[in-house]
Amino acid sequence: MKAIENIPDRKLLLFKSCMVGQEYPGVETATRYVFDRLGIDYCVNDEQSCCTGIGHYTDIFEGLTTAAIAARNFAVARKCGYPNITCLCSTCYAVNKEACELLNTSAEVRDKVNSIFKEKGFYDLVYEMGDMDSRTNFYHAVEILLSKVGKIKEEKKFDFSGVKAASHHACHYYKVKYLDVIGSPENPQLIDTIAEACGASPVRWYEDRTLTCGMGFSQLHLNKNTSLQVSKTKLDSLQRAGVELMIHMCPNCHIQYDRYQPVIEKEFGVKYDMVHMNIAQFVALSMGADPYKVCGFQTHSVPLEGFLEKTGIL
Amino acid sequence: MIEGTTEGLNKAAVFICHCSGNISEHVDINTVKKTLKAEGISVYDYEYLCSSQGQALIKNKIIKGNLARVVIGSCTPSKHGTLFKKCVKEAGLNRAGLEIANLREQCAWVHHDREEATEKALSLLKAKLKRLENAEPLEDIKVDIVQQALVIGGGIAGITAALNLADNGIPTFLVEKDSSIGGQMAKIGKIFSPDKLAEECAMCSLSPLMNEVAAHPNITLLTWTEVEKLSGSAGNFTVRLKKKARYVKDNCTACGRCSRVCPVLFEDEFNCGYMDKKAISLRFSQSVPKVYCIDPDHCLQLNGGSCGKCADACKNGAIDFSQKEEIIELNAGAVIVATGFEEYDASQKPQYGYGIFENVMTQMELSRVLGINGPTKGELLRVSDFSKASSDPAPSTCDSRCESLSDDTSEAETPKRIVMIQCVGSRDEKEGGNCYCSRYCCMAALKHANLIKKRYPDTDITICYIDVRAFGFYENYYRAVQEAGVNFVRGRPAELIEKPDKSLVVRVEDTLNQKIRELPADLVVLSAAMIPSQGTKKIASVLNISQDESGFIKEKHSKLKPVDSSLDGIFVCGTAQSPKDITDTIGQAGLAAVRARAFITDSPKTLENEIASINQLLCTRCGECLNCPFDALSINESGRVVLDPLICTGCGYCTELCKEGAVKVAGFTRPQLKAEIEGVLEEGDMLGFVNSGIASLTCDNIGNSVLTYPSNVKLIRVPTCLVVDIDLVLHAFRHGASSVLFVEDPPDNPRAEAIYPLAVRHFEKLKEELGDSGNRIHFKKAYVPNIKGLAGTFTSLAREGEMIK
Repeated sequence: MKAIENIPDRKLLLFKSCMVGQEYPGVETATRYVFDRLGIDYCVNDEQSCCTGIGHYTDIFEGLTTAAIAARNFAVARKCGYPNITCLCSTCYAVNKEACELLNTSAEVRDKVNSIFKEKGFYDLVYEMGDMDSRTNFYHAVEILLSKVGKIKEEKKFDFSGVKAASHHACHYYKVKYLDVIGSPENPQLIDTIAEACGASPVRWYEDRTLTCGMGFSQLHLNKNTSLQVSKTKLDSLQRAGVELMIHMCPNCHIQYDRYQPVIEKEFGVKYDMVHMNIAQFVALSMGADPYKVCGFQTHSVPLEGFLEKTGIL
Repeated sequence: MIEGTTEGLNKAAVFICHCSGNISEHVDINTVKKTLKAEGISVYDYEYLCSSQGQALIKNKIIKGNLARVVIGSCTPSKHGTLFKKCVKEAGLNRAGLEIANLREQCAWVHHDREEATEKALSLLKAKLKRLENAEPLEDIKVDIVQQALVIGGGIAGITAALNLADNGIPTFLVEKDSSIGGQMAKIGKIFSPDKLAEECAMCSLSPLMNEVAAHPNITLLTWTEVEKLSGSAGNFTVRLKKKARYVKDNCTACGRCSRVCPVLFEDEFNCGYMDKKAISLRFSQSVPKVYCIDPDHCLQLNGGSCGKCADACKNGAIDFSQKEEIIELNAGAVIVATGFEEYDASQKPQYGYGIFENVMTQMELSRVLGINGPTKGELLRVSDFSKASSDPAPSTCDSRCESLSDDTSEAETPKRIVMIQCVGSRDEKEGGNCYCSRYCCMAALKHANLIKKRYPDTDITICYIDVRAFGFYENYYRAVQEAGVNFVRGRPAELIEKPDKSLVVRVEDTLNQKIRELPADLVVLSAAMIPSQGTKKIASVLNISQDESGFIKEKHSKLKPVDSSLDGIFVCGTAQSPKDITDTIGQAGLAAVRARAFITDSPKTLENEIASINQLLCTRCGECLNCPFDALSINESGRVVLDPLICTGCGYCTELCKEGAVKVAGFTRPQLKAEIEGVLEEGDMLGFVNSGIASLTCDNIGNSVLTYPSNVKLIRVPTCLVVDIDLVLHAFRHGASSVLFVEDPPDNPRAEAIYPLAVRHFEKLKEELGDSGNRIHFKKAYVPNIKGLAGTFTSLAREGEMIK
């Protein structure tokens, strides 16, 4: 298990996510807004590429290509002196961590990847065993927030007390490398702890709490009914628990609930009273960030105005 | 010849054992005899030196020849070392005058070339002779053992251990932190018997034992008392106890008037949180001692209020609000830790709803509910219906309540569907879980299922399990429960859902047919893991004894010393040591009592004297040696460094720490080791310093397993490699060693756990100090089964040496 005291706040490469960038850019701006206020030493590097996750999980990229691209991104992180890869998206987190482990343990994969680099003259990209540590060089941005929960409480400008929130933890964080996470994957408290620091009252337990969002990457497109049925199951359970805000840590879950909640409502003839946001957006709001310029709520499908007005932000 | 000394060291003799060909077939004994005799040394050989005739020969020659130095060439000293020591002692020789050369496991059996084996045998014998020239007589160390014992924890383990000790004539103190003994077993309603396939009243078994404890002339019972501190050492511990104020004097007759008038009601931990405890109460109605106790946290009078109703009601004037806590100091020769377990906090698995949904309880709580003196008087009810049960907190006894059950429970509902979930927090590698099996829960679930099925045949009971572990005769009971119609689903449930009527649904995959099932339930019972109690964890740190990674107290050896803690004189039993059921606990507690009794009655105790000794003339009292990993050294009132012979393991770490050379390990002094090095080595030899524990056994095992290595491998037994300093290594190089190998015990027992890292550090330091020669020393951890690896290391290092030669 990861220990909170070992989470670094220095030399973090804030790993850009394509899902965040194209769907909810506010998640990235909100994270940077919060990191700045928490005094985190991080950088964003434009040389970094996509982790291939979405392509990998839809069977477009096979493992070797994913490992090669990961090795390239690791070289980018090391070269700029910010080797602690900190992901906004749990899929980037899992893909990078897994790729690092593969590159460290399989000489065959390492040799193949390196021979491609050498053939093309990219000697600076060559990956040697142990260049990165799969346990200590990879983080999710939420872990960084958790390690600063005391400071988040101090920086609180706006109190969310009384907001009935529910957390939805990402499976690519909690279920892929489940022995190397913060807390118990059966009882994830990562988001809840941070939300509580902002004054919210997260519901302790709700039915299907550890259920996936239902996206399943290709599943959303190939088995749309099943995919939406899974999302609906969780939304129904949250509706019964009287939840008004669902807090995410992964852009994929965020898309599944925010973009598809209106679709589910239409297709299944139901109505939900819930809005969605990323935990970084929630923390930014509590620190007094602008809901649109910083949090980018204008890109959300489920309008947040009602929630923001009710809580007095608008 | 002066008895007990080694005066007249010139009088030496060598005895060689043929070991019925085991040695004589490989070593040419005649050549050995001739060579030694040519040097003026008397040599005797015999078919079996370990036989009584062989021993008679040794004794006879010692007495007749007035011998002062004896070398026996035989099998490994681990086999007959003690026997030969006794033998020479009987002939009046100080045992420092005896050396044993291992001609079997480390010579005849590993070198099949007769000439090479003979040559090696000679070098081993000569080295021992040379070593003896530097021997100093070893005096016996004797220590008086305090003739009384302390048992910590008054559950079934502590009760059993105390009764066994007391019955064996050992005055015993039994300390219990609660106001009554009985422990967790007192909470259990029924226990089962696998042979009779029946469930019996647990209190009917426990209560007589508790009363026996109270009445036993050899037992001093101290309840409401905690252990604060332990000092001293094995055989002579000083224990400081804190006896909390009970506020009720011993003249209490337990009439119960006080409790009836007490206005305070609060949650009863004993009764699984049911609101039936008064601020003045007995822990349970069969409590021992039967003296009421006031809870200082809840009593109005003690918290600044004016109440005193109990004092008014008491006809004996037993209530005393002015009582103060007492500090008691006592001495004990041995201590038994029986501090028990507690249940895993099942709320750490929120998917099972414990603490969230009302009708989820643990197996221990169910056993309380099924107890006739439980919160529902033995009536099976949903937790949400508890309040509908009779809430008369008056003491009830088994007999009186058995006939009039369910009088006041007409409205309450008996659950019709019960699901039990096994392995909650056990066999669970995830964060917050425990990897081990808790051992008792399968049988507890079966027992409860059977009990309920007998009393309420219409109840539908399902047990969700991973494996049912019904070992030994328990299998009969398991079969009977299956036949009684209890359902079994193989699968670890994913989660529980609560319905508006407070009933539940258990979601589980039946892994035998890969189907997801939703089991409706009125009551869900979680078989929560056994974890070490707070008391167990606390006592381990107070006594400074080793714990395993889960916090249970670690035994010295899981097979051979299952009740010895890491410290001599402290024993452990019951669930403080590992999860187990009542049957196993009682068996283990009996063993702990026997071990403690053996320890106490062996008084005065003669100690192994190959331990550290301090030359006060050289000692500068710098205090470096106080870094002893076992805290065997301390500074006494007059400022002198003193050694506790009961604690010292003779590891030799202090010899390295002392810059003045004021500390030495008897039997392993530098002159002795130097002499042995000189005697044994020839040009190009590989010299191994072998820890006399597991490492020596492993070396012997190479011989036992018919493996071989070159005869230029020479091994010297040392207490640990820590006694070998740079001087000795350089001495070995000067006398021809091509390389030096340290063979250490693996960190598998408490002693080696402390030594091993020190040995590694010591080795690295030596390597650094040796500079260019650093690559000629090597380190190897020896596991008993890893004989091939060790023999391989010997061979490759020896070959290198031959090449240099």
